[in-house]
Amino acid sequence: MNKYEYKDMWVYIEHSGGKILPVSLELCCEARKLCDAAGETLCAVVVGELHRSEIERILACGVEKLIRVSGTGLERFSVDAYTELFTQLCRKYRPSAVLVGGTIDGRDFAPRFACRLPTGCTSDATQLVYDPKTGDIEFIEPAVGGKMMAVITVPVMRPQVGTIRPGTFKYLPAGARPCEVIDERFDFPEEKIRTEVLDFLPDEADESLNIADAEYIVCVGNGLKGADTLGRYRELAALLGGKLGCTRPVFDRGILPYKLVIGQSGVVVKPRIYLAFGVSGAVNHVTGITDSDVIVAVNRDPEAAIFGYCTYGIVGDMDEVCDAMIAQLKAKV
Amino acid sequence: MLNILVCVKQVPDVNLVKIDPVTGSLIRAGVPAILNPLDANALEAAVRTKEKYGGSVTVITMGPDQAAEALRECLAAGADRAVLLSDRAFANADTLATSYVIVTAAKLLGSFDLIFCGKESLDGATGQMASQLAERFDASQLSSVCTVLEVDEDKRTVTAERELALGVETARALLPCLMTVEKTNYRPRIPNLKSWKASRTAAIEMFTSDTIPGLDRAQIGDPGSPTKVPRTYPPEKGPGGEMIREGSAAKDVEALLARLADKL
Repeated sequence: MNKYEYKDMWVYIEHSGGKILPVSLELCCEARKLCDAAGETLCAVVVGELHRSEIERILACGVEKLIRVSGTGLERFSVDAYTELFTQLCRKYRPSAVLVGGTIDGRDFAPRFACRLPTGCTSDATQLVYDPKTGDIEFIEPAVGGKMMAVITVPVMRPQVGTIRPGTFKYLPAGARPCEVIDERFDFPEEKIRTEVLDFLPDEADESLNIADAEYIVCVGNGLKGADTLGRYRELAALLGGKLGCTRPVFDRGILPYKLVIGQSGVVVKPRIYLAFGVSGAVNHVTGITDSDVIVAVNRDPEAAIFGYCTYGIVGDMDEVCDAMIAQLKAKV
Repeated sequence: MLNILVCVKQVPDVNLVKIDPVTGSLIRAGVPAILNPLDANALEAAVRTKEKYGGSVTVITMGPDQAAEALRECLAAGADRAVLLSDRAFANADTLATSYVIVTAAKLLGSFDLIFCGKESLDGATGQMASQLAERFDASQLSSVCTVLEVDEDKRTVTAERELALGVETARALLPCLMTVEKTNYRPRIPNLKSWKASRTAAIEMFTSDTIPGLDRAQIGDPGSPTKVPRTYPPEKGPGGEMIREGSAAKDVEALLARLADKL
């Protein structure tokens, strides 16, 4: 394989209910910068119908090529059809890279078509850097629970496939450019789709689990002594009119549900005030809080990485500091 | 009778791993190796499925000889058969090369109706193995499964609930099917003393690159891995914020709230 014969960086445009998912546009914006560095063309791949107004949002990111795919077996996402579709498209057009949003569907099919091609696949990069010496993309990602950063490359094979979590990159459209539109027909036999959806039951709207837009967030990290000490953090969150969240290890310990996990693999938040109690500050978590106006960190370890990212830091026992905060906030009211 | 496979991994307990501040490399010494926690949920789902429908559960892993310990843990928790793929030639494999070795070896053991995997490993955490194993098994794929509802051996289907972002989906897939399991409803059982004792001396089937017939050496280990890790480094330290040191929790909080006054 001569990797230099592979050109164009692709972004898969995932959409649901007629709306493009924000992660797909975030990836277009980030890939635009990569293409500028590499002198390559940015191409968006849309499967199925999208309204003109949505297509405009893709073009605004500086996409220069749009592949619109229509055909049977594609109406609803299935791993079987989308794996074969991307295998065929990659063989036909030979892109240098394919970026896919790290959603449940994206993470299901991207590694699978990479395997079928075969080529290398990476997941959860937090930085993408084009290396002009090698012509490779450096997928830089937190490893070992965020304790180190690893540079991953695909030095020989093409395309370079990567799934990227929602919220990792910013949506900053670079402006429209002239765009070539290619209509691609692909029919996948319905009988070869091996999964079928029988039912979907939306979660009951539990507002306490919806933390993405909270103005105030109290986050408990692995320093939390146990579930029995959670009450004060709930109380503090309530006093502030905010929500309780947690880091991944707190979920792993079975104390709080996954929907409250803040960070790269969980929810990305942007509150006015973010209060981190007993949070070590692993990259995976910090990635999800950097857009907060104010970050307050409370940790008993003065060396904790979280103090590098905070606006204000207090070294001390998380429970004691929380109790003092509750007492003083109550006294003010 | 269902033939069930569970793919597991032994991982360092990353919460205890330290990083050498100078070299940026992992200090693994003294860090216990454990069964990847989410794999224990996958095993539990597999064993409960076996208990309901009959059949057998095989666990398979690729790793150093010590990974046998993770397999014994699985045997204690209800697995019937354990297979270890261990060879220096397997080292430095990415998910593509690892899935190749596991599936090539698993095909020697029989044909599996259901394959269970954890969502991701604690250390690598790419979450890619399941998709690539499913591809190589030519299996259908259901991720984020929180409940296995029904296996219909006549119709060759499995029905399961998937825990998605906005709700629970019920989906049906043709066998063979690979499922990744959520921890929600599959808390691992605590082995009783008898099964734990039995697992200590149980036989573990071993394969090396020489004893897996037809294994293509170009597809294993480092040569078979299209992704490379040219370097690692410690995360950059943030610029640091203002540390409040007033001498007591109460005074620290007072000073903090004064600074936050216009934000509250």
